[in-house]
Amino acid sequence: MNDRPELFRGNRIFLACIYWAFVLYVFVPLILMVLMGFKDSRFIGFPIRSWTLEWYTGVFADTEVLSTFGYSIAIAVLSTLISILVGTWIAVLLEGRKFAGRGLTFGLTLLPALVPGIISAIAFRIYARWLGIEPGMGAIVWAHAVHNVPFVVLVVMARLSTLPKSQIEAARDLGADPLITFLRITLPYLVPAILGASIFCLLLSFDDFVRSFFLGGYEPTLPVMIFAMLRSGMSPEINAIATVALVLTAAIGLWAERFTRRMNKER
Amino acid sequence: MTDPEPLVRIEGLTKHFGETVALDDLTLDIARGEFVTFLGPSGCGKSTTLRILGGFERPTRGRVILDGADVTNQPPEKRQVNMVFQDYALFPHMTVAQNVSFGLELKGMGKAEIKRRSDEILSFLELESYGSRYPIQLSGGQRQRVALARALAPDPALLLLDEPLGALDAKLRGQVQQELKSIQRRTHKTFFFVTHDQEEALTMSDRIVVLNHGRVEQDGTPEELYFRPASRFVAEFIGETNLLSGRVRGKEDDKIVMDWHGQTLRGLAPQGSPDQGEPITASVRLEKLQFHSERPEMPNAVRGRVVGKTFLGSRMAMEIAVDDVEDAMLRAYVDAETGARVGSDPVWIGWDVDSMAMLTD
Ligand SMILES: Nc1ncnc2c1ncn2[C@@H]1O[C@H](COP(=O)(O)OP(=O)(O)OP(=O)(O)O)[C@@H](O)[C@H]1O
Ligand SMILES: [Mg+2]
Repeated sequence: MNDRPELFRGNRIFLACIYWAFVLYVFVPLILMVLMGFKDSRFIGFPIRSWTLEWYTGVFADTEVLSTFGYSIAIAVLSTLISILVGTWIAVLLEGRKFAGRGLTFGLTLLPALVPGIISAIAFRIYARWLGIEPGMGAIVWAHAVHNVPFVVLVVMARLSTLPKSQIEAARDLGADPLITFLRITLPYLVPAILGASIFCLLLSFDDFVRSFFLGGYEPTLPVMIFAMLRSGMSPEINAIATVALVLTAAIGLWAERFTRRMNKER
Repeated sequence: MTDPEPLVRIEGLTKHFGETVALDDLTLDIARGEFVTFLGPSGCGKSTTLRILGGFERPTRGRVILDGADVTNQPPEKRQVNMVFQDYALFPHMTVAQNVSFGLELKGMGKAEIKRRSDEILSFLELESYGSRYPIQLSGGQRQRVALARALAPDPALLLLDEPLGALDAKLRGQVQQELKSIQRRTHKTFFFVTHDQEEALTMSDRIVVLNHGRVEQDGTPEELYFRPASRFVAEFIGETNLLSGRVRGKEDDKIVMDWHGQTLRGLAPQGSPDQGEPITASVRLEKLQFHSERPEMPNAVRGRVVGKTFLGSRMAMEIAVDDVEDAMLRAYVDAETGARVGSDPVWIGWDVDSMAMLTD
């Protein structure tokens, strides 16, 4: 490195410029959105002459908005629970085992993540009608869970593949049957992966528009509601709602990151 | 071996992994309270035997009898056998105390009893101040002791140890060897120890079983194996030795007289007696060769010249070219002072009948 200080320095400045350009590109829209939510005017744009919390108080007073938030969170939590259960189970079945058709099983498991959202949404809609399932919460939870399972499988399998076989054998050796071994050795080892996958699933579900739109009943999820509001034009309320959602998801993401890092350090 | 009821009886154990024959008709008894070492080169089937005893592997053929009961098809959790793994396999999310208590909880012991027993074993292994630490916060030697504590806690009839000292540095290794041996003596437990390190085997064992290609080469005390190796493989594998190839000239009582390039040598007869004129190999340990300036009054004596010396601290390794025998080199250990005195004059090398073991190939 010291042989070519000039070149290296030039490189570094160049890379730094690209990096900051990228950061601006990502954050400017977010910052604009947040700022507009505090602007004391219905008109979106600069200059901002005075500030207000009016839109926020409005949003928090609006029971419909609040219940939509709750609805979206409930869907996210339920679908995540299902994906985690099913995904972990599939990962444990597939990892480290050889059987005929393992490759096929694995491929089929990953498929839901690869199908474009709009196609799977339409397919789900048709399937749900055929099965006689009403559009609504159940249908959305089901679609989200199916879509998210592959991510859980991948993350949990990756973690599982690093669990030394001797850990399992040691537990068996000390008197644990396969079930106790799974609960007391394998599962604790998987916790960081399961936690990470959960956060990912929660955010995927909370964020989903297409499936929720196609499979929803009369009650909209948050993205669907925002979409509906948009039809009557951009408004500061939307900015306020979106800002709250942004803060919420960012907080969850950051907490999860810190938590997993601390856990990794402990072990 | 003649124990009417050995703790472990291994009968005709055979294990195939596809084409590979890891174990080939292995039969072996282990007595109660014995420190048995399985010694052999890499891939000879040591771990496989241990894993079959632990219940992690099913043999292709053969049976394992533990305490009179056939356990061949019993899963590991049902056996009164515990294992110290090569990588220790400590549970990273449990403290030292929790690791040690794990096996006790699964035996259905009460809380108070578990606490008492785990405290007892921790203090026995001088780990009492580490109970609340996590494995990652321990040194290699401490981890090794925790692994031992965890395996000893449930009071197994048989303790299996698969190269448990492999991860330790040379100095700590020597120390832990002594410790392990003393723990075995104090607990009166049966230890089945696996290593490919012959020095380790000689230091620690009551009995050594030398394994080669999934078969028992020799089975005996460290002294027997060292001074009376039954085969060339054992002689070469354990310690350093001089191998002398010649022909059988005749027999005298329990001795074999051999011809080695015109020299007449006498050694202990092997099992089964080779016929006159048959080729035979003799093994003489390096430290059994004695230096003399005149022809000594010994059954075996040859004249030669020192052609190389290597200083090894407390002793010296000498290389001797034997007179009238082309390409015949003997190697010998002598104490450093004797070694320094020996010059380039011809010397006589002598050794006893007892020091020379005749080998079947
Ligand atoms: N699970 C397995 N699948 C296929 N072959 C195996 C398996 N386990 C062991 N073997 C083969 O069986 C033979 C004996 O292996 P084993 O692990 O018992 O050797 P070892 O004496 O313990 O050697 P080392 O000193 O290297 O540990 C080897 O040739 C090995 O490649
Ligand atoms: Mg091995």
